[in-house]
Amino acid sequence: MKEVKLFLGPQHPGMHGNYSVHMYVDGDMIKKARPTPGFLHRGFEKLMERRFWMGNLALIPRICVVEPDINEMVYAMGIEALADVDVPERAHWIRMIILELGRLAIHMMSIGGIGGPTGMYTATYWGIAQRDLILDLFEKITGARIYHMYIVPGGVRKDLPEGILEDLAKVLDQLEKNLPEYEELILRHPIIHTRIKDNILLPASVVWELGVTGIGMRSATGAKNDLRKVKPYARYDQVEFDVPTATYSDALTRMNLKYQEMHQSIRILRQVMEKMPPDGPVRTAFSPGSALRYTVPAGMVYTAVESSRGEYGYFIVSDGKEKPYRIAVRGASYAQGLLGIEKYLPGYRIDDASIWMDTMGVCSPEIDR
Amino acid sequence: MTNSTNNWIECLKKETGLEAKEGTASLQYVLDVDKQEAHQTLAYLKRAGFGQLSLLTCIDWIEQGTFQLIFILMHWELGHHLIVRALLDRENPEFTTITDIYPGAAYYEREVYEFFGVHFRGSAVYQKPLFLERWDDMPPLRKDFDPQAYSDGKFPKREHPHVFKANVVEVTE
Repeated sequence: MKEVKLFLGPQHPGMHGNYSVHMYVDGDMIKKARPTPGFLHRGFEKLMERRFWMGNLALIPRICVVEPDINEMVYAMGIEALADVDVPERAHWIRMIILELGRLAIHMMSIGGIGGPTGMYTATYWGIAQRDLILDLFEKITGARIYHMYIVPGGVRKDLPEGILEDLAKVLDQLEKNLPEYEELILRHPIIHTRIKDNILLPASVVWELGVTGIGMRSATGAKNDLRKVKPYARYDQVEFDVPTATYSDALTRMNLKYQEMHQSIRILRQVMEKMPPDGPVRTAFSPGSALRYTVPAGMVYTAVESSRGEYGYFIVSDGKEKPYRIAVRGASYAQGLLGIEKYLPGYRIDDASIWMDTMGVCSPEIDR
Repeated sequence: MTNSTNNWIECLKKETGLEAKEGTASLQYVLDVDKQEAHQTLAYLKRAGFGQLSLLTCIDWIEQGTFQLIFILMHWELGHHLIVRALLDRENPEFTTITDIYPGAAYYEREVYEFFGVHFRGSAVYQKPLFLERWDDMPPLRKDFDPQAYSDGKFPKREHPHVFKANVVEVTE
């Protein structure tokens, strides 16, 4: 047997972000795989210890590039728990708008993204184009398209601009109208369907072994393990939505669950628009004095939210001073992106490696930090 | 003990004598264990329903001269997060690997070794470099590591210091 070492990434059309896998292949079968993270290691955990609590807001969205809002949310939730502040009612609902729009954006990108590794780029273009409409909304609300720095400890940075709910309703209507077309083009299209059906299996035992959460876990175990249901944050306990699950997890199932989750996000957003208080304060200070000198009472807390890839959490330690003592980030794709690749990528073919990365939900910036 | 009941706290107290306290956030608990009994406690907790290791990390309490290992476990049926903490001596930080209980901890252990220098006995791979390439200084998340000094010593100063200046174009009407 002859082994050849191949590099998948750090720059590769089928890779999301700069992440590399060294594959030892025999023919086109992968015999051994070694994940090589670190290309996006920017030392965030050390950087955060050296900046003020509020200064970190500019830093944290960058930890997960495609889904930045969850970072702001867990950071804010952690500080609010330590400082024991109550967030104004309206801010909770605005946060849900941001989080669900973020989920729609990343699911759209990821459903379209399957076009890259399967070779049907139309899907990618359609997905990105639809996501762009959501980014337009973000720009109207927060002033920025990708890194919003909008959810701040104690609430949100600013109230919603006038007329935004009408814009949101329009975007949702249009998205809902387009979704069946995406399903037809992407999930049922022979080019993609044949490649991802019964491919890249994820059994329930592997889920528990690695610690996979999110769609991976729900698609394999059939349990409704969604943090929005299990331990609701913001006002997720006051809206109705279903958690789609399955008991057989192949790549197609996981894509289907993403597709179904988008419908649920739209449902949540419509309820938010209906139920949110029309006005009121949106922010409280969590500490007296100037924002740059805010302090947080000593203590440690772990906060987690449901990201598109699973449980995303921050472990925050404060010693009562102006800067965090330690912040550790739990990237949602840590489990499948490192040990998962090493143990379960071997056995697949080279051309399936990119589909593996895509549908397992490996996001390199949150692994590297 | 069944997984669906809320009595893991009582069972834990009865069987191991350890008491889990309420944490800062809701549905969150904190449990301090001795380094020696951490292993068996984690094994017990896994059987009690904490099937998932969400995070393994470390805190450097430099003034007390200790490291604190943090294991965050998740009980999905109850939605409980449990923070298990164990203190290690900072001079000689050693711990036994927990990959036999939570296999997913393998890469967390490598990370904690790389960033804090904690040794995990019993693991064959924990010393393999992970994120940092050709690192030649002390583990960087220790509190006595100074990134500024490292950077000054490692990289040459710019010959021409960069001055950021706005390029203002005057508009005449």
